[in-house]
Amino acid sequence: MDTLFWALAVIMAGGILPFVLYRQFRMMKAAAVIVTIAGSLLGLLAVLPALQDTGPPAVTWSWQHFLTLSFSLDALSAFFLVPIFLICPIAALYSFHYMDHPDDAWRIAVNYFFFAVLIVSMALVVCADSLITFALVWEVMSLSSFFLVVHDFQKKETRSAGYLYFIFAQTGAMCIFAAFGLIYSSTGSLSFALIDQLPAQTKLAVFLLALLGFGSKAGIFPLHIWLPHAHPAAPSHISAIMSGVMIKMGIYGIFRIYTLLGDTSLLFGQIILAAGMISGVLGVVYALGKHDIKRLLAYHSVENIGIILIGAGLGMIGIATGRPAMAVFGFAGSLLHVLNHSIFKSLLFMGAGAVLQKTGIRHVDELGGLIKRMPTTGRTFLVGSISISGLPPFNGFISEFLIYFAAFHGLTLPGMPFLLAALAIISLAVIGGLAAACFTKVVGIVFLGEPRSEGAARASEAQASMLVPMWLLALLCLFIGIFPEPFVRLAFSGLRDMTLLGPIEPGTGQELLANLAFAARLFLGMVIAVTLLRKVLYAKKKIASGPTWGCGFTQPNVRMQYTGTSYAMSVVEFFQPFVKIRAAYSGIRKIFPGRTTYETHVDDIAEIGMTRYLVQPLARTLDRLRWIQHGHIQLYIGYIVLTIIVLLLVF
Amino acid sequence: MINYSDAVLVIILLSVLIALESNRMVALVKIMGLQGIMVSLVPLFLPQHQELGSGGIIFFQIMILIKGLLIPGLLYFAVQKVAIKREVEPIIGYHASLFVGLMMIMVSLFITEKLQVTLPGGHSLLLITAITTLGAGLFLMMSRTKAITQVIGYLMLENGIYLVGTALSKQSHTRYVVEFGVLLDVLVGVMIMGIILHNINRAFDDVDTALLGRLKD
Repeated sequence: MDTLFWALAVIMAGGILPFVLYRQFRMMKAAAVIVTIAGSLLGLLAVLPALQDTGPPAVTWSWQHFLTLSFSLDALSAFFLVPIFLICPIAALYSFHYMDHPDDAWRIAVNYFFFAVLIVSMALVVCADSLITFALVWEVMSLSSFFLVVHDFQKKETRSAGYLYFIFAQTGAMCIFAAFGLIYSSTGSLSFALIDQLPAQTKLAVFLLALLGFGSKAGIFPLHIWLPHAHPAAPSHISAIMSGVMIKMGIYGIFRIYTLLGDTSLLFGQIILAAGMISGVLGVVYALGKHDIKRLLAYHSVENIGIILIGAGLGMIGIATGRPAMAVFGFAGSLLHVLNHSIFKSLLFMGAGAVLQKTGIRHVDELGGLIKRMPTTGRTFLVGSISISGLPPFNGFISEFLIYFAAFHGLTLPGMPFLLAALAIISLAVIGGLAAACFTKVVGIVFLGEPRSEGAARASEAQASMLVPMWLLALLCLFIGIFPEPFVRLAFSGLRDMTLLGPIEPGTGQELLANLAFAARLFLGMVIAVTLLRKVLYAKKKIASGPTWGCGFTQPNVRMQYTGTSYAMSVVEFFQPFVKIRAAYSGIRKIFPGRTTYETHVDDIAEIGMTRYLVQPLARTLDRLRWIQHGHIQLYIGYIVLTIIVLLLVF
Repeated sequence: MINYSDAVLVIILLSVLIALESNRMVALVKIMGLQGIMVSLVPLFLPQHQELGSGGIIFFQIMILIKGLLIPGLLYFAVQKVAIKREVEPIIGYHASLFVGLMMIMVSLFITEKLQVTLPGGHSLLLITAITTLGAGLFLMMSRTKAITQVIGYLMLENGIYLVGTALSKQSHTRYVVEFGVLLDVLVGVMIMGIILHNINRAFDDVDTALLGRLKD
């Protein structure tokens, strides 16, 4: 535990140093990056022993009798610390060249400070061992990430995105605090230990409230609205951290509260599984419909949270129905997907950030041909895309396969669980297919073809400190894909302290993993073999290259290319009732038509619903109470007097 | 035999009424100075407060200095520097204010009866004065337009609170430390108000708080 706190202290120092050094811009960034990386490595060092055997004893720290903070490190915490200490230093390295405005040195120093606060608070969230500790560090995490989102506060868009995120974070926190309040009123203690003694009704209420709170952080479907606004607004390495690591804290919360409640009723699993399926499918459908590259990635986070929850839900159903294999593979797949998603999603956000920095364009349909101008970014982005689509030989395949495996175990169950397991398989298949479709869209439109705008044509490759992180993450994707066994074992060890599950037999999944690894390697081998074969066969032939989509026209135009909108529309239209498409078409009315325009927007039904049924009535009601605020100080004092008199009369 | 404590309390009550009725800023500030001095003198005349340590004497001197001279002095400067019009500009007229002040004395009497606090040695007048001062302070804040009268009202409110504290608690010097803290708060409040007044005056060319209504969302 001491090592961990030292690591956090080092990271915090990395956040404070920039304030001292902000006059030397490059030195400031270098110092922040190096210290953060050193701290994170130290943190990884502290986490590894906790994963192997039982963690260090809990640390309690009390101040003035009323504030007692306690931290402990069990296997689940240790597992969630891995992505934190793995992704954050890589994102810090990326920021070195990404934050390239020396004029804003002070603002960037502030950004590094909150970055360090975010890392530290996330690490403390997973280590928190009492309700009050958890609530405190959770708030610190939400606030520091809010300040990171509003880095570009001069833009109105960013400010409103930050505001939206703030509302969601605080409402979610309020739900969590309500759950904690219920626990405290029932047990009279702030410690985690007594939660399993709650009455069953209270357990359900606590679970639902916590699900609302953690769900709004994780981005479960109707509560995900802040994600597609906040991620595009934040700097890209912050989006990478928020999408890759921070929203997983919501998942951690759900795991933790489920473990603590110790309730094995089927209902919890069903709720989680249903939430997972809805977020998964709708997340990817909206991702297909969106054409802002970072917003699209944000919707993919919703989708992947859905996949993670499907795994967790299957695990919970497995526990409830007494199928240990299903439970183990469901939870392990879910945990491994947490790690995998943090890797490939941050890779994708970094790729998107590089594109954004070099072209200044976020809209997919204005980009094109970037793989020729930014080869490394393009290739690593492709790796991330294949991973996120859950295809071999990359890491997404492994975790999704484990979840599939759990779902297939569930098919032997009778009744409702059978139906849910079958639905889970179907939705996983739909998610996988649509994600692949979505990323063929992104890669095809952004990186292939010809540039559709000036900005895309002028793009050049990003600098080294941005490329190295992308390479690292891409290699990690491939490595986990080809050598899955140690990482699946890591996920198993993350489940070690889950008392509901019981001890996991050491031989679990040995054969499956061997087969999985073999399949992935075979696939990789085949890809390499085909590539080599092509090289050999074409070695003696003359190859001519022309512009993409040239197709023998004498004057090819970039606008002949497929657009992202047209590519995705046929799929999106299929999901019509759940997705609102707004189209504006000027039409052709004359024989020689003039300028015609066609526009479509895909609107989020959760956003529309929340605006129409929650925000607007609220705003209308509050507007009627406007007269209370009239601006006369004298009457404000009158309010105070009135309040005092009423209070005196009542009490 | 003249009952000194009652005499002081009567002077305080009169100062409250005069403050409600006065139509000149400067007169109002002067009255507040008098009231401050009188209020800080009250505990000295109370029967159970005969012996005073050297600490107590210093304390009362500082109290009189701040309440009677420093704060009114600051307010006086503010009036001289900022207020172009010297009039108080009430929302509720002077005579009506005076009437309200008299009503307030009645209400305080009623409240004191109702509370039935066992007050040592003829202190009932002290509590009546205290509640009247408190209420009149609030009334002054509500019924005058200029920002500076709000400060004066607040000052009167603080005087009232001090008197209530004197009436209801056992006399000991440790209690005055708390009072002293409140006093420092008021002093800081007056200074901040001075700065705000200056800014209001610069922004709107007047210190009428109604103009602040423009700032609302």
